[in-house]
Amino acid sequence: MQKEDLAPHVKEISQVLNGSIDDDQITKELKTFLEVYRVSLETAKRSIIRKYGGNPALLSGGQRKRIGELTGNEQRVDLLVKVISVNKKEIEIDGTYKPILYGIFADESGTASFTAWDADRFDFNKGDALLVRNAYTKEWNGQLQINLGNKAIVERQDADSINFSEIELPKFTETKQVKIAELQEGMNNVTVTGRILSVEKRIVETSDGSKTVYSGVIADATGKTQFSAWHNFELKQNDVITVKGAYVRGWRGIPQLNFGERAEVSKFSGTFPSLIDLSQSVLRTIVDLEKIGGGIDVRVKGVVVDVRDGSGLIFRCPTCKRVIQRNLCRIHGTVEPLPDLRIKAVVDDGESVLTAIMNRKITESLLGMTLDEAMKKAKEMMTPDVVKEEIENKLIAQPIEISGNVTKDEYGLMMVVGSARIALPDIKTEATTLLSELEGFS
Amino acid sequence: MISREVAWRAFAAEYNASTLEVKGEGERAPSYVITPLGAMINRLFVVGVLTDIENTGTEEEPFWKARITDPTGTFFISAGQYQPEAAIALARIRPPEFIAVVGKSRTYSPEEGTLYVSIRPEKVTVVDEKIRDYWILETCKSTLKRISAAEEARQMESPSVESLMKLGFSRVLSEGVVRSVAHYQTVDFEKYRAVVIDALKYLLPEYQTEIPEIPVESPEEIDEEENIDNEEKVLAIIDRLDKKGKGAPWDEIVEEAKKEGIEKNELEEITNSLLDKGLIYEPILGKMKRI
Repeated sequence: MQKEDLAPHVKEISQVLNGSIDDDQITKELKTFLEVYRVSLETAKRSIIRKYGGNPALLSGGQRKRIGELTGNEQRVDLLVKVISVNKKEIEIDGTYKPILYGIFADESGTASFTAWDADRFDFNKGDALLVRNAYTKEWNGQLQINLGNKAIVERQDADSINFSEIELPKFTETKQVKIAELQEGMNNVTVTGRILSVEKRIVETSDGSKTVYSGVIADATGKTQFSAWHNFELKQNDVITVKGAYVRGWRGIPQLNFGERAEVSKFSGTFPSLIDLSQSVLRTIVDLEKIGGGIDVRVKGVVVDVRDGSGLIFRCPTCKRVIQRNLCRIHGTVEPLPDLRIKAVVDDGESVLTAIMNRKITESLLGMTLDEAMKKAKEMMTPDVVKEEIENKLIAQPIEISGNVTKDEYGLMMVVGSARIALPDIKTEATTLLSELEGFS
Repeated sequence: MISREVAWRAFAAEYNASTLEVKGEGERAPSYVITPLGAMINRLFVVGVLTDIENTGTEEEPFWKARITDPTGTFFISAGQYQPEAAIALARIRPPEFIAVVGKSRTYSPEEGTLYVSIRPEKVTVVDEKIRDYWILETCKSTLKRISAAEEARQMESPSVESLMKLGFSRVLSEGVVRSVAHYQTVDFEKYRAVVIDALKYLLPEYQTEIPEIPVESPEEIDEEENIDNEEKVLAIIDRLDKKGKGAPWDEIVEEAKKEGIEKNELEEITNSLLDKGLIYEPILGKMKRI
């Protein structure tokens, strides 16, 4: 590296050391580090500063950015921010407690939450203008997070060094109250009120080792969802709770509520539907389920417009239960086939479609025929296809009401049906109501 | 996501009044009949009375044409060898009978600006009166929903899918309505509201004595027969000219078709229809081949 190229770095080192060392001396040492020891420029600068008793963190190594420009991958970044909020709390690390600061920083480009991992090193308050050096950023739960680690330095600035109207800032700190039926994969910082229908403690293996999770089902009048609490909030069945700061993850399209120790959980004291009421499945439209990606124990209405192949009398491998053709399982070779009944029905409500998978029990009740009877019929007619035809005759064009868990994949929505019934509404009553509404207009 | 087309519920009065067909983008894209109220129909579900049925094909290769009436008009149905399941079902049914049909929208446009719609059935099944009544009720509800979406859209300065979805209408309906507003200059919403009111009265015994004749612009007798005949002719021509199995050259098809009295414009309509049905394809530009 040429001497001229080194000049700005020499100047920088000199600044950190308050000019106590001669520039020529610094240049010489820097060259030695780079040319003799062949270390990186960054390491060289830090070493020199340390050697003369300076603080290498004061090097403005971080790139100066605005909050709106952050990507979540910055290793060292400098920011000029205003403190919108700051709070202190203790976290547990390997059995010892350590105070940290968390809150919101803002500049004219936006806001982001921050965490300062050693509360004792920092001293700033709400409303302060700060120059934050050497912060790093991460994305956590889909949100950008500014981290102040052991290299971070905070310099207080004149309050008027940042000029922007606080009114324009998004109300970042406010969490959004949502109904359970509105939960969608990827949502963050939501507030949900619901009754715990069930809860159990489980140990799960994660990339950070095994963790205890309290999971179960929570419900409000709009629906149910599975939840996972990553902290012991002492949740009990039948509790009605409000969770602030929860986030939503998807499992095969089904949105699930998650909350960790950062969430606030409180008992809800107002009136709320009872455990028994909430245990019923809630009627939803297929369009609605498509939008949110699925749901547990939901009920839909529609008309059967098709019965897919693979419905009717089928044969399974007795060992692995796979559907087999000609007594041949692709894993277990020639086997004694196990007969079964199944329906894969396309249920259409005029606005959207889902595939409903019905097991033997439900198939038998809709078909009005037991498995043995279906076998007998297939033998008589010399083909199992006759059972599928029978299903089509019984179901095509029939209005049906089904409930179960709905998942979503590249083929669309699929419900594993828990219960099904042919359901005609009271046509005369509905027609009369509709007519009086319409004639009211004219 | 490979999603199945939804089966729309629409009265014959609305379906038959359609004069717009649109094609989706990309290969194998489905086509849709856009009704005046904005239903975007590729598939539909209808229930009505099968009033007549005839085989316009042969004993060996039957081609069934049927009419199904609802309280507002008549649906035209046709099924041949490429709809074996529906053809078999139709062969067994004797009118009059309540039947339900799930099928694909079909169009025939003998000239620019004229569009005849019919249904190519996938499923045909005999049902009872209750299912027919249920279908009328459901179709009233979905027609009313379309009326309100279309009325909203016509009040907007520039109707968009997003703004309609914000009002709570589904994406497909919003898309259909936006397209319908761009195509149909005026829509007589009162007429459709009257259609719904009459259909509701049809369900209620207290109105049974005074069912008025519902004025419906029923399309003129569809020249579907000629249409089908010509399709068969063109298929035969393609077969004949496709000597090496690499497709029949377009120029030769045009020539041969002319000999059989099919002009080029009409030929284009017919090949488009055959392409739509998936009976032929273009292996390379300028050649047509049977599938």
